[in-house]
Amino acid sequence: MNVVITPAMVGQVVISGLLSGVLYGMVALGLALIFGVMRIINVAHGPLLMLGAYTTFFFYSTWGLNPYLTVPLSMLVLFGVGWLLERTLVFRVVDAPELSSLLLTFGISIALVNGAQLAFTSDLRAVEYLTGSWMVGPFALSKSRVIAFVFAGGLTAAAFLFLSYTRLGKAIRATSQSREVAMVCGIDVGAIHRLTFGLASALAAAGGALIAVIVAIQPEMGQIWTFKSFLVIVLGGAGNYPGALLGGMLLGLVEQLASLFLTTQLSEVVAYVLLVLVLLVRPTGLLGGRQT
Amino acid sequence: MPGGALEVIELHKHFGGVRAVNGVSFALERGRIYGLIGPNGSGKTTLFNCITGVERRDSGRILLDGVRVDGLKPYQIARRGVGRTFQVIRVFPELTALENLLVVTSGPRATAEARARELLAFVKLEGLAGEYAGNLSYGQQKLVEFVRMLMRDPSLILLDEPAAGVNRTLLNDLLEAVRRLRDRGKTVLLVEHDMKVVMGLCETVFVLDYGEKIAEGPPGVIQTNERVIEAYFGR
Amino acid sequence: MKRLAVGGALGIALIALAMYPAYGTGYGNRAMLQIFMWIALAGSWNIISGLTGYVSFGHVAFFGAGAYTAGILIASRAWSWPMAAVAGGVAAGVLALGIGGPCLRLKGPYFAIAMLGLNEVLRALVSYFERLTGGGNGLSLPTLDATVPIYYAMGLTAIAVTLAARLIIGSRFGLRLMTIREDEVAAESMGIPTFRHKLLAFLLSAIGPGIAGALTARDQGYIEPLSVFPLATTITMIVMTLFGGKGTVWGPVLGAVVLFVAQEIVWARYPYIHPLLFGAIIIAVVLAMPRGVLGLLQLKYRLPRTI
Repeated sequence: MNVVITPAMVGQVVISGLLSGVLYGMVALGLALIFGVMRIINVAHGPLLMLGAYTTFFFYSTWGLNPYLTVPLSMLVLFGVGWLLERTLVFRVVDAPELSSLLLTFGISIALVNGAQLAFTSDLRAVEYLTGSWMVGPFALSKSRVIAFVFAGGLTAAAFLFLSYTRLGKAIRATSQSREVAMVCGIDVGAIHRLTFGLASALAAAGGALIAVIVAIQPEMGQIWTFKSFLVIVLGGAGNYPGALLGGMLLGLVEQLASLFLTTQLSEVVAYVLLVLVLLVRPTGLLGGRQT
Repeated sequence: MPGGALEVIELHKHFGGVRAVNGVSFALERGRIYGLIGPNGSGKTTLFNCITGVERRDSGRILLDGVRVDGLKPYQIARRGVGRTFQVIRVFPELTALENLLVVTSGPRATAEARARELLAFVKLEGLAGEYAGNLSYGQQKLVEFVRMLMRDPSLILLDEPAAGVNRTLLNDLLEAVRRLRDRGKTVLLVEHDMKVVMGLCETVFVLDYGEKIAEGPPGVIQTNERVIEAYFGR
Repeated sequence: MKRLAVGGALGIALIALAMYPAYGTGYGNRAMLQIFMWIALAGSWNIISGLTGYVSFGHVAFFGAGAYTAGILIASRAWSWPMAAVAGGVAAGVLALGIGGPCLRLKGPYFAIAMLGLNEVLRALVSYFERLTGGGNGLSLPTLDATVPIYYAMGLTAIAVTLAARLIIGSRFGLRLMTIREDEVAAESMGIPTFRHKLLAFLLSAIGPGIAGALTARDQGYIEPLSVFPLATTITMIVMTLFGGKGTVWGPVLGAVVLFVAQEIVWARYPYIHPLLFGAIIIAVVLAMPRGVLGLLQLKYRLPRTI
């Protein structure tokens, strides 16, 4: 690797990392919510993101809607999907051993991915709406990634405001701290579970909608997001919601830095090694959280 | 080889901002029965968890027969002769009562099985040896957990609320068993809310409140201790 | 008396299977070979995930590792396929120790996540080391028609895995693995060194797939990342075990036979429906029949643990 690495390159990479990091954080926040409130590992998280991407594609290709306008639409649709999934399937395994919820959401993820393959075929789709980059000094900022960053940042901020200041948001946090106490306080835990799952799906859908403009859309696109979302939660600490955001930024940075020094093929390996290392050294996450 | 002398020195354990165990120190001598009482949330189970290695203490030392055991893994501590029951019964529900006891040992299977059956007979459960533990009644499960703890012949026995949810007859049998264990030289520390049990069984009682030890002494003295009364009945 | 009858039936079945290649068609031999492969895979998955409850979502990694190890040894070093198969098993075992060492120290859910990512990582590594593995272009083995000997080899592997499961489940080691599933904290508190047990189970569960992968590589004569690391393989071995009865000896065998036959008869014609249906079966089994067919029967009729 005889490439001279200039400060400009590093700067470029850091910026790219932060841009994608916020997106990781937003999607991971959804997963963190499900894990925190329901103690369930949602293996189907990635496929939900994938459906969000397809929803955006659908609105864009059928009615020519501005894909960024479809973000709230995709979120709404997937909120409904998530709500429904919880109401019909997931609620049955909330109190079951972890094995059951893992396998159930795994089954759901297979069904979703293969359902998508049947419905949409594996042909790559694309939403060609925004290409090119803005030049800021020596740095090239991909337009679509910057806008994704803005949306993701806004949605994540909104999510945190919701969690911190609204009654429902506080009810969600209370349930995630102690289900028994929440019940005693008169919180309808079942409704909170449905709401949380819907909310998490909406956040995943937003992620999918935003990257629909950036990458190719195909049924398997979500799989790697499931894994990376977990990595983010591990980095940020389980049950630590702000940690999810910071963990996302960390992952974005590490990934981009790794692609600078290694080929992009190995950046996934780097993410994996990072996961294993963190789990070994600080199982409660780099920023401290709850152990399962 | 007699063992079971426990010494806890300045133990600290906190969860986030909550100080579950805040500088607790005490010493247990071999062959005696001790009680650990305190209002709910005073840190009793956390203390047990730290001693048995299930939780990692933040600071402080734990010595078993003079040897430091803090920082060891739970199975290592168990193998050094520490036995423990849980506040909420934790038998292995999909294993039979006999299997629940068998898994704990490693020697020749025939010997282990004989000992397991002997222990089950000791608590009059030999007829249910082949029944899945999950199908047993609450009291029966409690007994299985109790004798499972005895399989390795521990010298230090930690009992977390042994009287909870147990009828009088069964309770008397359990207490009698505990006295006999003490007579054989074992050290027993039990957490209990039932004051009659504590007063009738324990030679020395420790009282915890908000993670701190606020009193220590024979049951009769503890009963009249002002701080203890305050802790239980409010400030 | 009953034991004799069961033993006798088993013996007859084994003899019939051994004589099959003499009478079977090419298709028949292939199908049987695949059934043996699935028995070996599902049975192995059962040893780690069925018994300890630690769900291994990336188990196909061992299959692929065995395939590539054997493939490379046969193609570039002219090893004989039986030796290559052994090497495949060893490679899978080493991989299991390497992955299991760090990952099994984690509690169940974290382990599952780590295993999810394993697949992707191995695929990436195979592409990266293109010179050795042929990368995306795949690896070709010198042609050899060894379907019948491989039939026997795969059959032996299936028998070995089932036998291993029988021995484990009937022993205290197996019981201790189950306590990890039931209540790991209580198990540790009773003096059971859970990490050691998990690691050993994981190691044992990797060898079968490693050998099966090696044999498949030789049989197909050509391997590429997509063919030996597909998620579908993991999904299938999970469905088979869940359906047949996780934690039982014959559950994976039952699941492998029933689902493979069903798959061939009905679903091979509709390539996309079948993984979807498998997903639906997983959901249905987890919700309605979590112990699988044999597990349910075991509970209802008080069958012995080693069924």
